Amino acid sequence: MNWLREVARRLRMLVHRSQFDADLEEEMHLHLELRQQEHFESGMTADSARAAARRRFGNATYLKEESRIAWGWEWFENLAQDVRYGARILRKSPGFTAVAILTLALGIGANTAIFSVINGVLLSPLPYKNPKQLVVIKEHDSLPNVIDIQRQTRSFSQGGGINVEKMDYIGATEPVQVRVGLVNAGFLETLGVQPVLGRIISPAEDVQGGPHLAMVSNHFWQDYLGSDPHAVGYTIQLGGNSYTVIGVMPASFAPPAEHADVFVSLIVRDPGAGAERDLHFLHTYWRLKEGVTLAQAQADMAAIDRRLAEQYPAEEKERKSQLVPLHEWLVGDVRSALLVLFGAVGLVLLIACANFASLLMMRAVAERRELVIRAALGAGRGRLIRKTLTESALLSVLGGAAGLLFAKLGTSMLLTLRPEELARLSGIHMDTRVLLFVFVVSVLTGIVFGMAPAWIAARADVAEALKESGRSTTASTMGHSIRRILVTSELAVALVLLVGAGLLIKGFSRLSSINPGFNSANVMTMYLQLPKTRYGEIPKQTQFRRELLTRLNSLPGVQAAMVTDIPLGGNYVGHRFVIAGRPPVAVGGEPKVQTLSVMGDYFHVMQIPLRAGRDFTPLDREGQPLAAIVNEEMVREFFPHENPIGMRIRWAGDTGPPQWMTVIGVAGDVKHSGLNQPTDPAVYTPFSQNDEAWRRFMMLAIRARDVSPGLVEEVKKQIWSLDGQIPVSDVYAMDELIAVSLAQQRFNMLLLGLFAALALILAAVGIYGAMAYAVNQRTHEIGIRTALGAQRRDVLRLVMRDGAKIALFGIASGIAGALALTRLMASLLFEVKPTDPATFAGVAILLALVALAACYIPARRAMRVDPMVALRYE
Amino acid sequence: MHRDEIPPGTLYLLILKTLGRSGEMHGYEIANSIQRISDDVLQVEEGSLYPALQRMLIKGWVTAKWGTTAGNRRARYYQLTAAGRKQLAVEMSQFERVIGAITRVIEAV
Repeated sequence: MNWLREVARRLRMLVHRSQFDADLEEEMHLHLELRQQEHFESGMTADSARAAARRRFGNATYLKEESRIAWGWEWFENLAQDVRYGARILRKSPGFTAVAILTLALGIGANTAIFSVINGVLLSPLPYKNPKQLVVIKEHDSLPNVIDIQRQTRSFSQGGGINVEKMDYIGATEPVQVRVGLVNAGFLETLGVQPVLGRIISPAEDVQGGPHLAMVSNHFWQDYLGSDPHAVGYTIQLGGNSYTVIGVMPASFAPPAEHADVFVSLIVRDPGAGAERDLHFLHTYWRLKEGVTLAQAQADMAAIDRRLAEQYPAEEKERKSQLVPLHEWLVGDVRSALLVLFGAVGLVLLIACANFASLLMMRAVAERRELVIRAALGAGRGRLIRKTLTESALLSVLGGAAGLLFAKLGTSMLLTLRPEELARLSGIHMDTRVLLFVFVVSVLTGIVFGMAPAWIAARADVAEALKESGRSTTASTMGHSIRRILVTSELAVALVLLVGAGLLIKGFSRLSSINPGFNSANVMTMYLQLPKTRYGEIPKQTQFRRELLTRLNSLPGVQAAMVTDIPLGGNYVGHRFVIAGRPPVAVGGEPKVQTLSVMGDYFHVMQIPLRAGRDFTPLDREGQPLAAIVNEEMVREFFPHENPIGMRIRWAGDTGPPQWMTVIGVAGDVKHSGLNQPTDPAVYTPFSQNDEAWRRFMMLAIRARDVSPGLVEEVKKQIWSLDGQIPVSDVYAMDELIAVSLAQQRFNMLLLGLFAALALILAAVGIYGAMAYAVNQRTHEIGIRTALGAQRRDVLRLVMRDGAKIALFGIASGIAGALALTRLMASLLFEVKPTDPATFAGVAILLALVALAACYIPARRAMRVDPMVALRYE
Repeated sequence: MHRDEIPPGTLYLLILKTLGRSGEMHGYEIANSIQRISDDVLQVEEGSLYPALQRMLIKGWVTAKWGTTAGNRRARYYQLTAAGRKQLAVEMSQFERVIGAITRVIEAV
């Protein structure tokens, strides 16, 4: 407790420092006066009395200093003094200060923005209970399998699956479509979510014929239930059925990768799901038991897979469930991009720091005489270093503060640009961790990069420095060569970034010039789903589809068709199939193709070219021979040396008599899953010959001269004139879908491009600064050369040669660095080699031109040097 | 007249003892008191009282407050605290142990 009181006393002294000085002064003054008085009264003269008093007292200044030091605040006072002094110096040279702060602010700002994204995406834990225990099975699975795994597992404490289906919700002002998460009881339990109202479904209720219960998301509760605190017990109409609300989820809760507004039991809503082992459509999440490792769980899972495969060879023969930690699975795609960007932005900071150091060095040389005088007056070397470091730390902290502003702008820009993969992770903002990051980075920058100038300052040799006239001393030539090294490395690093950006730009332009296989211009699409209650049978579905298309096609300037899954729309259905006349394949081992149903002139509307055979006609309908159109990839893979037209295929696993379809045509390949994804073999069949009643959904594809909101309204009017309770959703222009599919690549390219531009500017400023300074230092020499008859051209060559040498070294080492580093970004590149020679050459030339342009300005100044003025300058 | 420098380390003891004897004193009085009582033998470099007093303030051995002298001047008066009294006892016993030892060494035959 004593030391605590002592600290309190010391702190009080710190606060009342000026009072302390005054008190001490007064006290000592009184002492001296009383002593002087005493001597005077004993008969001394006034003068000798004062002298004697002083003698007896000792060195008052020294003693005052001693008294202050006793309190232990000396370091603080020095620091405060240095900061005050530094601030004054910085105010006195606003140009230097602004350039230094701006340089650092750009570097730190860009870093902070990227770091906040990394912090939010890669470092922050997922918003679930014990998120480290959560894993996903990469492959989708069926409900019976999920139940079997739950029963057999020795590694998972919980597990559950979800599939999101759109259902119409009646109860809002117009029929709306909501996303319903069809789950089993384990799903919400696995994620460990606690409802804010009510409860979650229990395993006893999650059974065939169980009660219709719904757990609603917080935003559904707000939007449609008016945030009613008594919402539990409400009845809501979903997809033609009544559900009782039993729970409301917290606002912070969302499934890891899905968007859902309501959660209901899959088996209650679809009693057949319990038997459909081969319908793998659930995405499943599992929680590892305490102490179980991923490898153990994977081994356990493999054993379960084997048992299931033996037990159900027809459906599960090829089971291979891969476990991935949930966090890794979620950030997998963005991780490498973010790390490359973080590396890139780190390089930008490095360049900014090099510029900063170079600026400081220039100053240190300019200020050397002042430092030397201070040293001559007795300032310690440590104190001088501290003073210089304080100044650079002050600058870098200011730069960090300004950088925060840039980062704020940068982060909001990143958020508008962010690809879908980042969008689902919401925790992107600046928190204490980010602020700490900025603070540490800026202070370290100041100290590390202030070191060199401080060192130069400390080496000040008093005698020599006072003699010299400001040029060509060892310290300043040393400073000069350090600066050349700094500028060279800046150029090298800038080149690395430019190459990276160049490669991404090239890859992106390759990617965006890829032919998707259809013409996206003037086409829009929307999603419809027919309610099961009124459209449970295929004839009713077909009738609706046919009637709708007739009405839409009668609109002026409109061509409409429909398809199960639109390209780039994110949905995909695949079936196994059998080719007639080929040797039989083991059940479950048949090849898989993408399966699409169409109605109307789909190929015509999408402008997918027909390569062979004929298109579907209205005659290819129910009751007629089954027809199919295959894509080119299917021909390449399965009919490489035959004419596919007339070949017969059927779906594997058909029960009853085989339903053979005859191939009537070949359509061009379409990029269905993404422009950078390969095309799968695909089979198109007419909707009207479809025998799968569960396919009650469709996407309209509408080509019109003018795709406008008015058209969308017109189409909706036509749909609702047929059936007023069919919700419409996912209205997109095809061009938008293409843009979305390019978003991640665009994001990478824009950011790296931005960083490279920043690097280029900073490096140009760096080489400009170095050359301008060099010219300034050599004014005298240039004057003499001119006086001796050197032409302006010679002077130009003199300066430019110097700059060119730096540029050349920088570019050469940059190329070496880029060759080593661009390999790391290979996974981000599309059809471009990380060592693409054209990119390397182009970037090197660009950088050389910029560097020479930056040298040209000081070189011109050198040409205009008047020899008379230069010589008089002495 | 010849004056002896005070032995190092004993300045605290002298101040503590002086204050302990006479209650409140300002710096000049402390200096005079030490000198007078030692019959002018012990000479303090008077100014060095002040850093010492500051250190004692930090330690909490003394407190200081401003008051008025007989000659109606403002002066800072120092006073011993309980901790200061305890410290005085410690320093006294230490001093006596050292002096005793030195005496024994000197007087040994």
